Amino acid sequence: MVSGPSGCGKSTLCKALCKFIPEMIPAHVGGEILINGLSIRNIRSQQIATQLGLVQQDPDSQICTLNVWQEVAFGPENLCLSREEVSARVEECLSTAGISHLANMETTTLSGGEKQRVAIASILAMRPSVVLLDEPTANLDPQGAKAIFEIMDDLRKKGKYTLIVVEHRLSPLLQMHPRLLLLSGGKVVARRSSVCHKDLEALGLRADWDISLPLLPRARRATLFVDAVSFGYEGTPLFEDLSFKLWPGEILGIIGPNGSGKTTLLRLIAELEKPASGYIVRDDDPKVGFIFQQPHQQIFERTVRREFEVDGSIGSKDLHCVLEGARLAGLENAPPLSLSLGEQRRLTFAIALSRNSSLLLLDEPFIGQDAKNVSWIISQVLAARRHGTATLVVSHDIPLVASLCDRLLYLGERAFFGEKDEVLSQLKEAGKRAFTPTYWEQEQA
Amino acid sequence: MIAKVSYHKGYAGLHRVTPMANVLLLVGFLVAVLVSPSILVKLGVFLLVIGLLVISGERVGSFLCKTRFVLLFGVVLFIAQAFSIREGTVLLSRGFVVTDCGLLAGAQMAFRFLVIFSSSILFVLVTDPDRLAHSIEQIGIPYRYSFVLVLSLRFVPFFRKEYRTVRDAQQVRGINTSIHGFAGLLGSIRYTLFPLLVSGLMRVDSIAISMKGRCFGLYAKRTIAYKEHWQRADWAVLFLFCLLLATSALARKYAWL
Repeated sequence: MVSGPSGCGKSTLCKALCKFIPEMIPAHVGGEILINGLSIRNIRSQQIATQLGLVQQDPDSQICTLNVWQEVAFGPENLCLSREEVSARVEECLSTAGISHLANMETTTLSGGEKQRVAIASILAMRPSVVLLDEPTANLDPQGAKAIFEIMDDLRKKGKYTLIVVEHRLSPLLQMHPRLLLLSGGKVVARRSSVCHKDLEALGLRADWDISLPLLPRARRATLFVDAVSFGYEGTPLFEDLSFKLWPGEILGIIGPNGSGKTTLLRLIAELEKPASGYIVRDDDPKVGFIFQQPHQQIFERTVRREFEVDGSIGSKDLHCVLEGARLAGLENAPPLSLSLGEQRRLTFAIALSRNSSLLLLDEPFIGQDAKNVSWIISQVLAARRHGTATLVVSHDIPLVASLCDRLLYLGERAFFGEKDEVLSQLKEAGKRAFTPTYWEQEQA
Repeated sequence: MIAKVSYHKGYAGLHRVTPMANVLLLVGFLVAVLVSPSILVKLGVFLLVIGLLVISGERVGSFLCKTRFVLLFGVVLFIAQAFSIREGTVLLSRGFVVTDCGLLAGAQMAFRFLVIFSSSILFVLVTDPDRLAHSIEQIGIPYRYSFVLVLSLRFVPFFRKEYRTVRDAQQVRGINTSIHGFAGLLGSIRYTLFPLLVSGLMRVDSIAISMKGRCFGLYAKRTIAYKEHWQRADWAVLFLFCLLLATSALARKYAWL
């Protein structure tokens, strides 16, 4: 497994191993990469693909056909194999990824977890000896992530594949007895031939989020009142009669499977959608600080400084302080889109905070962030809590959300809302153990 | 303009025929409305398109709803032509003049427009882009070109969704992007087009990596695992195609109304 702080070059390493760097992304490359003893210097990336396959982070953007069977067949077809061989490989890999039942489905109708399994099956169909997975669970809900970790374990047990996994969630991988390569600033700073939880803690790769939340002063008026809200897309209901109040300073964690309406709820609160029925009442502040899942969609200006100025002018000293806190110091005049995705996410978060609104809406703020950056985001959310800013956090990082939030809202076939202990025990009873922190702690143990 | 028109799986009517038969039918519709001067033929073709929609299990109400702007534009074209042409017998003269030639030219224009759009939409609704790409490969066109078609169809919903998200992001941050004057236009380009371009390029990069990572382009040819077979329904479509060509040729020769 490969890990390291955001922006240390993990994804760059993956692309270099497959020769997409420098073939598609020009770069100066030194040294030598050997795959099965063969130098990749003088061969094309397509030739490497028969030896080494890359599964990318975003399941949506790596699928290039509209049908599951055809998606898995895409690689073998490019290898000019016979029809019988293509079919045999497709059936075998669909079965390995546990998705034989999806063979005739349209790829657009699949959940994120299912799409990622299709992506893995389509890489396995190339029969590579090395499978490279670049944060394959980053966008997945706990159940989807669990399924991917199980597939990885199965592949390892088969003994046919070398797996290289780039991950921030390292604990679930430990049961596979991996080797660890730790990168920082583009260099290998640590190697371990065997890893345990203590090693992860010593290297700063694992943090136990034990956050104490002081009691909030009583408020007269709720910052947000969601009253019997129903909403759905094209006749399919996402939630019905959803009601809750959020008080000043309160942090509400929203969890649930992919596609259960977590982002949609944030959009409804930000008035980007209208509820089919019911009301959403916000306090008098018309502004909200809203960070989207994809940070580049919220970036409009040519420099980081100008990006802050869209929301009002900011003094040089203040800007310097904010950027230093967000580990973006010295990037005032850098084009925001040239930053890594993790850096862009911290930038949009810092901008949302600078709006000083009474309501923060954070959609997956921890994706792609290392422990230090997560700590910074947490410290800022807690500081906002002290100032009376109410926050809604959508995240798949269950242990973190359970620790950070005052209350929890689970969206799924049934919604659960309340004090976090109450919601977590309801989830346990309902058989949704993957959405409880104890499940992930037991996995680690 | 046209809301969410995209292929979805179906088992009735034109869903059952091979993609190349659907291409042939689309060509037949286009030839019929472009070659034939007859309004009746155009009206017939339009009704045929609606009939095929029904046979293929599509809901006419939903189709009309999705294409309401196109229908409205057809009506606008008809009115514009009817009021602007002054040749022919005057049928109405009350400050404005409506002639028989104007009405005929308006109907010609409106039906031509409606048939081109409605038949194209029918084609998109019933034709699986993946199978179409395979069919194009089967007739000998290099697979790189057929995949351009598949990928461009995949990008349509992506850009639609991305455009909406970018507009939402502007709204959340209080950016005004109304286009008033040159400065407004520049602002709109900067705040809408650039984020869209960036998203598009990022998506293109990921898909290119995904395709190259599965040996796309390694050889001049590739296997087509799913072979299309010409079936009875395809012969029926071929017959319809010939009928459309023959009718338009006759309508042109004998100058049908």
